[in-house]
Amino acid sequence: MLAYEKNVYRLLFICIGVFLLFALLADGIAGSAHGFLTLQLHAARLINDYTVVGSSGGALLNAAVMGLLSLGLIKLSGVRLSGPTVAATLTIMGFSLFGKTPLNALPIVLGVFLASRLAHKPFRSYLLMALFGTALGPLVSFIAFESGIGGLGMIILGIVAGAIAGFILPALAMAMLRMHEGFNLYNIGLTCGFFGLFAASVLEGARRDVSITIIWNSEPRLELILLVPLLSLLFIIWGAVSDGRKLGKNLKAMLKLSGRLPSDFMESISPGSALFNAGALGLVGSAYLMLIGADINGPVIGSLLTVMGFATFGKHARNTWPLAVGVILATLLFGKSLTAPGPVLALLFATTLAPLAGEFGPLVGIAAGFVHLLVVERSAAWHGGLDLYNNGFAGGLTATLFVALIQWVKAIKNQ
Amino acid sequence: MKNKEYLLHLLAEISNYILDSEPHRMVISLHQEPDGMHLAVMDDNKRPDEELEAMSKALNSSARPELAEYYGSMGGSDLLGTARLNIIGWQIKRADVGRIAEGTKIDLWLGSDRFDSSNFSIPKDE
Repeated sequence: MLAYEKNVYRLLFICIGVFLLFALLADGIAGSAHGFLTLQLHAARLINDYTVVGSSGGALLNAAVMGLLSLGLIKLSGVRLSGPTVAATLTIMGFSLFGKTPLNALPIVLGVFLASRLAHKPFRSYLLMALFGTALGPLVSFIAFESGIGGLGMIILGIVAGAIAGFILPALAMAMLRMHEGFNLYNIGLTCGFFGLFAASVLEGARRDVSITIIWNSEPRLELILLVPLLSLLFIIWGAVSDGRKLGKNLKAMLKLSGRLPSDFMESISPGSALFNAGALGLVGSAYLMLIGADINGPVIGSLLTVMGFATFGKHARNTWPLAVGVILATLLFGKSLTAPGPVLALLFATTLAPLAGEFGPLVGIAAGFVHLLVVERSAAWHGGLDLYNNGFAGGLTATLFVALIQWVKAIKNQ
Repeated sequence: MKNKEYLLHLLAEISNYILDSEPHRMVISLHQEPDGMHLAVMDDNKRPDEELEAMSKALNSSARPELAEYYGSMGGSDLLGTARLNIIGWQIKRADVGRIAEGTKIDLWLGSDRFDSSNFSIPKDE
């Protein structure tokens, strides 16, 4: 293990500790444990805010357990804790506030593991696909608890379906990557959305209801509101101390990168600047949400944590602001509310398209953000909310559109 | 030759990088060694020391199996942006970058998991 990795492990364990502490503060041990158990047996499709379903304490405990599982898998598989794995851990913790549970995530991991065996590859080669692939957790929960049949048989069927989905995931993920050429950071979101189209069709064929419902905490507790700003400050201090005087120079170098997949800022720049960048984006995101008066609940904290995670793996201030502006413009132009669930989540998750702005400039970024909001508001219904990374799905489609157009324009210019 | 797809990805990505600098001449030589392949690429572009160093660093990046298997498949098929040598670096055993009389030479050593450098025609350090 590299020296800086120990430091990053320490930081992530502290984050998990903060989640546990806030769970205790919110609902105590018994309340949090009860909430946690409730979540395991609950529907997970978009958007189920676990801070409502299983109480704030239960959701935070669920996120902490998932964070530990994620770090355990990374350590066991012998993969370095760096940009992509930090991004995966924070994303998993975030989405465990609105969809992921150990019960619905582990079958997907098992499926990816079996695929690695079949391909004669070590599991570590497929680890990122396994971690991010837990976005398909709602498929397991739907079959087990939402299909209207119930019983142990359906739980087993759900686990088998999850394992099959995980088994197929690596082949799909690599193919999807080539569609947008690395310009959509949440590639597994596109992959799971694509798979979700087929899964939702099968479920609808079997006369199951996969329409979208929204459970949204509009009165979040103080612990939830304070969580991300506190973690952001921790990341900023940790990063600044790690890099010392080199921080400014390193951040300057980071801002020059396009952020296109795979851009491991921890390796290519420095771990300290990557952590500082994560904290800065988390803090700016939180400040914006507080300014507009958005509900800082499970899904919103999840999206902030995802932004923070990917700030070590592709996102920074220069390549994210155009996307946010694009989403705000589309929201205002089409008469939507900036504080409605769709625009709030789209603004944060649209930064999946950061590499487009990083490589082709802010105008392309603004246009991409604009299109993204319009696509993402429709795309969840296509896969029945089975893909938790719906913004990754919409972002992948948007990126593919822009990449195709830019390639065409480039070809004409070269003639 | 085995692993045709893998080789094509590497060839396309390294060609993409070389062609970005608009050379007048590019020569690619690929040959089978006892335990893997040796790919040599030469062009007539004289690069500054800093670029050669950056190329060597990217091509000799430490093993990242989690990135190589997943994102490595993008190599050579992502021709829209700038070429990225680290995608190649994660998938090979070793790279040498150096000057030749008329330009630059890149040697890529693609070994199997049983890679043994003595099986390769790696030049001995002088």
